[in-house]
Amino acid sequence: MVNRLNPIQKASVAIILTGMLLIVAIPLMCFVTVSFSNATEMSQFPKNLFPSGTVSVLVAPEENNRYTVYYDYHDGNGWTSIITLSDAKKLERHFTRQYAVTVPGEQLLKDFAATRETGEPRVFTYRKDTFYNFTQFFKIVPNAASGLKNSIIVSLLTILISLTLGSLAGYALARYNFKGKQQLNVGLLIVRMFPTVGISIPMAVLLIRMGLFDSLIGLAILYSIPNIALTSWITSSIFIGINKELEEASLVFGGNSVQTFLRITLPMAFPAMAASSMYAFTTAWNDTISALILTQKNQTLSLVVYKAIGTTSSGIQYAAAGSIILILPALVFTFIIRKYIGQMWGGVSM
Amino acid sequence: MNEKKRLISKNATPYILLAPVFLYYAVFWLYPVLAGVREVFIDMNGRFSLTANFKMMAESALFTESVVNTATFAALSVLLQYFFALLLSILLARKFRGAKLLMFIAMIPMAITPTATAIIWKTGLVKDGWINSLLMYLGLIKKQIVYMNVEGMDAVLLLVLIDTWTVTPSVMVILIAGLQGLQVEMKEAAYTFGANKLQILKDITLPILRPSITTSIIMRMIAALQVWSIAVMVLGYSKAPFLVERVAFYKDAIPGVDTSSKLAFTYSFMTTIVVLAATVIYLRVSNRGKKAAERSEA
Amino acid sequence: MSYLEIRDLQKRYTKNGPLIVDHINVSIEKGEFIVFLGPSGCGKTTTIRMISGLEEVTGGDILVDGQSIIHKLPRDRGVSMIFQSYAIWPHMTVYDNIAYPLKLQKVPKKEIDERVREAARATEIEQLLKRYPAQMSGGQRQRVAVSRAIVVKPKLFLMDEPLSNLDAKLRVTMRTELKRIHTEQGSTSIFVTHDQSEAMSIADRIMIMYKGNIEQVGTPMEVYQDSATRFVAEFIGTPPTNFLDAKIEQEEGFLWAAGDGFRYRVPQRLASAVEPYAGREIDLGIRPEFMDVSPDMTRTDAYLCDLHVDFVEPQGSHAILITRIGSKEIKVHTVEHMNLTPGADVSCNIRKDMVMFFDKETGKRVR
Repeated sequence: MVNRLNPIQKASVAIILTGMLLIVAIPLMCFVTVSFSNATEMSQFPKNLFPSGTVSVLVAPEENNRYTVYYDYHDGNGWTSIITLSDAKKLERHFTRQYAVTVPGEQLLKDFAATRETGEPRVFTYRKDTFYNFTQFFKIVPNAASGLKNSIIVSLLTILISLTLGSLAGYALARYNFKGKQQLNVGLLIVRMFPTVGISIPMAVLLIRMGLFDSLIGLAILYSIPNIALTSWITSSIFIGINKELEEASLVFGGNSVQTFLRITLPMAFPAMAASSMYAFTTAWNDTISALILTQKNQTLSLVVYKAIGTTSSGIQYAAAGSIILILPALVFTFIIRKYIGQMWGGVSM
Repeated sequence: MNEKKRLISKNATPYILLAPVFLYYAVFWLYPVLAGVREVFIDMNGRFSLTANFKMMAESALFTESVVNTATFAALSVLLQYFFALLLSILLARKFRGAKLLMFIAMIPMAITPTATAIIWKTGLVKDGWINSLLMYLGLIKKQIVYMNVEGMDAVLLLVLIDTWTVTPSVMVILIAGLQGLQVEMKEAAYTFGANKLQILKDITLPILRPSITTSIIMRMIAALQVWSIAVMVLGYSKAPFLVERVAFYKDAIPGVDTSSKLAFTYSFMTTIVVLAATVIYLRVSNRGKKAAERSEA
Repeated sequence: MSYLEIRDLQKRYTKNGPLIVDHINVSIEKGEFIVFLGPSGCGKTTTIRMISGLEEVTGGDILVDGQSIIHKLPRDRGVSMIFQSYAIWPHMTVYDNIAYPLKLQKVPKKEIDERVREAARATEIEQLLKRYPAQMSGGQRQRVAVSRAIVVKPKLFLMDEPLSNLDAKLRVTMRTELKRIHTEQGSTSIFVTHDQSEAMSIADRIMIMYKGNIEQVGTPMEVYQDSATRFVAEFIGTPPTNFLDAKIEQEEGFLWAAGDGFRYRVPQRLASAVEPYAGREIDLGIRPEFMDVSPDMTRTDAYLCDLHVDFVEPQGSHAILITRIGSKEIKVHTVEHMNLTPGADVSCNIRKDMVMFFDKETGKRVR
């Protein structure tokens, strides 16, 4: 079947493609820029659309060993005077806080001394500390560091619970025919599709009674609910695919059922396990509302970032930096599974 | 050997394997669900009442708005997303260089957590944000446009747009995967009998993909009905009320008020019912539509 | 007058890539049932797809009734195709599947109904018209594909390995069915397969392809007894032709083919063809069915050598003897001496001198 396009069609496809890419990429790029912006850039308008690695200031010498620092906001007013200082410590703090430039105060003074030679103001360009916003995130935003730790722990716990219970169920579904199998499948589907918000609140009450409120294990328990069902669905299809005779061969050669499961079946089901783990991880890592309901002190990273946005619109660049950490695992996961999307969503074939 | 497999196995193994799962769900799903339902039918004074809490919810602030907004948002966003995604996927479902990279980039907006999405758009929508910066660079505006004071339906529309940005590329990728996964010979057979590209699309491709498309629409709809975090993070509480937004409001913003807990329960119960009802209705409608189409062709 | 003519047909997929179909020429008569036979990758499917219009022609021409069709759309070529996977549309009933081609041609509803039922009758699936493909077996789906293909009353009936997905027993029944339908409809058919016994049983003529080239076109008997190339001799027949390395010698006024463990006198009728090979190496091919064994060690003019039977495979109607000539394993097909046991010694004479010589370099038959 001929599937070639004439030049006009090719051009329109290219235009649509580029347009779509731009629409997706530009907001993402701006977001990345924000997360690398320093305080001064954040108060600028119009904003930079690309991250910049350096900051340029104009320094003019003043009497009494003082210097005036000027910054160009690109708002048509040229160099605007910001501050006049002579103290090394204060200079260092200003540069760190405003420009994310972490050069020691003494060094700054030394550099600025060059202006005294001619008496004329000079432009100085310094490298920004790339990870300044990230370190600030962990310093300023409440519970940031513990949030990261908690998110990792909860996600791992969720993977553990979901995979263990889910693959047992998946194996049972794949290998055995038993009464109520059909109903079980329907039941698992319902659990998987059930809106989390419907369970979160009563779950909070239950956890309080069990003494597990505001605990990481409590969160993991909630996150595992849909994921156990999802894992059993994924693994049962894989187990069905794994030839029963491979398992039977192991039994013939003297292994018992447990050994067979551990040594033969499980390794072959690895891709399914990996996929299920990633889904479980993502659920736990990305969720905000359940964490909101079920925790107070032990917050997860996404909850921490969520709270950080609400509080300020100054300092949002730190929250942005924090959310970059938040989205990294999701990016990795998406990159890995993009090949398998086709298998999951391919049209019905006969 | 085959006969033996068909008999219902009396072996206890499957039950042993499933026991932990049953137990888990009994304790951590069934019980909370039932407890939640029970809570909804016990009023503020601890007495059983079928309607007391629903009355309280219906009279609470912004109830009507939250229902209307939720319905509008779900309907509009699903419609928009699928319309664009289908259009794009039909145009772009062919092999070209960099297709894999494109797919990856397209899937990013939906893969990142809503919190990040909220930051992206919040930093864009503020008066001195990147949207205005971009427009100014392009020379399209001279003065900053204020977006953040949107209210009512305008706010909902803004959120629909943001949601469409997030979801459409991913849906497009899924649809393209479906289109390309379709067995080539199905299309070739139609082609040899004289069908043109449009007829192949209408008579063969889309009908065969129908089940997958339906499934993904249902899942999108379920997610859309539970929208809340974008609304709260970009606009703040109570600016653009939704059902789940109300739940979060009563749990997060004013948890101390004595009616908050009940209201949160009732709203979340209502959301669950709405989601289940919508799913059932959609399935019925799409099945009926399918049967009608078949009957007309016979 | 040939009905379908393929002239110097070529196909390549990339600009400087290899020729998948390498300058082939063949004429097909009206009403003929011709089989394109060959191993995977030989170009038979590509050829049939070019005839149907699913692939573009890189070079050469295809003519139907004297008119070139390579620039026509499939529906204007008067062809109908059955795919290996049947390509039955899962969302339509059997009736709709068969009716769809007619719908595309905007045939009036009443006529569609008549023709669909007629096509369904031809393959005996009238009771299945309201069913969906998912509710049917592979054999039934295959019949739907056939009905759909014949309902448009095509000039040319193309079948791409239509029986490969059926189990062995069904395959045998269905191939006779297909031949019957072909005859009833009076169509011209091209049938693609890699199964040589299938080809032998239904073809009027067989076209054997290998690596994009035509090895031979002929009736089943012709390709069997009079193989044009070594490939054909090896591909056709079960068990396949035995091959021996031989050197042609001249002695006592006769030509002899001699090799490791045998010495065979070249028959008179082949003498002039084989003579140029005197003093050179040549391939000697002999079919298992044409090797006569004698437990009483008789030697005729067509004597090949003595054989020591290693294994016997009784098949009921005949037996296969596994033996060796020199270092080569040889299979012999015998009807008269089915009671031979392993360890027996027999003499072997070639029946009616049905030996085939092939040039070692070109693989072509020496005649």
